[in-house]
Amino acid sequence: MRNNIPTAALSEFINEVSETPEEGLMSYGIEIDWETGTRAKTSTKPMLVGPHKVSRSFSWKADEPRQLMGNNHGPNPQELLLSGLGSCMMVAFVAGATAEGIQLESVKIDFDGTLDLRGFMGLGTNAGVGFPEINYVIDVVGDGTPEQFEELHRKAVKHSPNAQTIVNPVALTGEIISKQIED
Amino acid sequence: MSKKRLYGDANSKSASRNVGGWIKDLDRARQSGPFLEAHPMDAMGMSTKAVHAGTHDDARTGAVGTPIYQTSTFILHEETYESIEEGFGRDRFIYTRYGNPSQWAVQEKLASLEGAESALVFSSGMAAISAAVLAMVDVGAHVVAASDLYGGTYNLFNQEFPSLGMSATLIDSYDIEAIEAAILPNTQILYFETITNPVLKVVDIPALVDIARRHNLRLIVDSTFAPPPVMKPLELGVDLVVHSASKYLNGHSDLIAGAVCGSRKLIDMIWPRLLNYGGQLDPHAAFLLERGLKTLDIRMKAHEKSATALAEFLETHPAVDKVVYPMLPSHPDHARAKELMKMGTGNVTFFVKGGDQAALKLMDHLHLPKQATSLGGIESLISLPFNSSQSTMTSRQRADIGIHTGCVRLSVGIEDADDLIADFDQALNAIYQMKGAA
Repeated sequence: MRNNIPTAALSEFINEVSETPEEGLMSYGIEIDWETGTRAKTSTKPMLVGPHKVSRSFSWKADEPRQLMGNNHGPNPQELLLSGLGSCMMVAFVAGATAEGIQLESVKIDFDGTLDLRGFMGLGTNAGVGFPEINYVIDVVGDGTPEQFEELHRKAVKHSPNAQTIVNPVALTGEIISKQIED
Repeated sequence: MSKKRLYGDANSKSASRNVGGWIKDLDRARQSGPFLEAHPMDAMGMSTKAVHAGTHDDARTGAVGTPIYQTSTFILHEETYESIEEGFGRDRFIYTRYGNPSQWAVQEKLASLEGAESALVFSSGMAAISAAVLAMVDVGAHVVAASDLYGGTYNLFNQEFPSLGMSATLIDSYDIEAIEAAILPNTQILYFETITNPVLKVVDIPALVDIARRHNLRLIVDSTFAPPPVMKPLELGVDLVVHSASKYLNGHSDLIAGAVCGSRKLIDMIWPRLLNYGGQLDPHAAFLLERGLKTLDIRMKAHEKSATALAEFLETHPAVDKVVYPMLPSHPDHARAKELMKMGTGNVTFFVKGGDQAALKLMDHLHLPKQATSLGGIESLISLPFNSSQSTMTSRQRADIGIHTGCVRLSVGIEDADDLIADFDQALNAIYQMKGAA
């Protein structure tokens, strides 16, 4: 199997979704529990692949370095954001390469981002809260031409759900359920 | 000698490549098979399918019937290399652990009989069940299954599941409300038997299909007790049907085999489990199973005929407390049986007066039925749950699932009904007189 992706199954799934769009609806969820300080534990909720439930028994912890009042017990939320972004682009890149018949030898994506914490702190400046920009470099070795890889890069970003969530406005709706402790 | 090689399913081809395209341009769509797409028999009757579906005469010699392809491996060439590269090795002959024409013949026949898009054969019913179940669950998964499952399946859920980080809740297959209430956020499948063993409950499959759909679950049923002439669970909306093919499907008590039938999508998900767990059916056994399957429909008619006559006779005998046969009006699920079952089977369970000791004596007085476990063979088989299939349970636990003392599990073969009735009459009279004398 090229790149260890079964092209036949990928093709069959795409054609199935084309015929039956509900098979292409993916529903995800996670739960985050505050543990202590800046550390929180994330657990995956069951996922829906089309109308079919999949058990997702995964969990991980996020923390901040000691310099940011944490204990450095895990990647911090910004690193996890970049990880989610880059891993998604990686799937799109590898799937696209496989569909084109490109054999990959190695793919690395190196991400960097700088943000100004004055935004988080609310210090009155013009600094935004989030990343003003995110930079990455894809380092790929495979039997595609430089032109093919450049085009693949463009399509991977265009079709990556996480990349498109970051570059486009997204509605963030939430509510809070609170209970006041009385003593 | 023909040089033309049959490398697999010629209808199965690589997705075309589109340099500069995106994944949406991949044009390979799923199809029934392997082979089924090229040999549609949907309009044919059960017996015609049993004889002809999947059976391909030898093109080189004209020998009628599927040759026994007793080989471990196949000569590789362009079409096979390509299938490995592209991820559709299931549609090519590469190595017998992956697939073999003798296996394909049975798979095509079974898929045709069950009305499935695809099927796989295995070296035992438990190999089929374990591969099918484990293909449909992920780590952390939970299963809701019947509380009176076949012992082997019970052991899979009870012994293996916890070691794999998974769990199962077992519920009375009559209690539809409790089954739904047992579903957890991580539940992935419902697993039930269409007709239970040995008390022959006819399970409300449409109700289970409804629950599975509403909760986004897959429903797997073991239909060993209801082969295709009796019930086609896929038509009722079940996702996967598993069988111990050692029983009715083969029908001659001379091999161990299993099968899974369903959509091409799900069977393709099970195929890698077959490869990884290694429960392939040997080509010689596949030949025997194919041969047995050819007479499935007429065997089932003979089983039903003799079983119905014998069950009706047993109901009238004073030494018999109760007879359980779904096609008798006295069966608690008779109405559902008439709705879901196209015909009866050979399985008759009955309770003799005088309890397990009387049942033991009965078996000693019988001449025709063999005292042996299993079912679905052409010869009648008789056993007592208390000292065989359910011997690890206490009498109280057995009673809880309807196995009261004196319970006799009988698989009526295809012997003439008159001979079976005469044999049971003399044996029952013998124990009844002994009881009277005492």
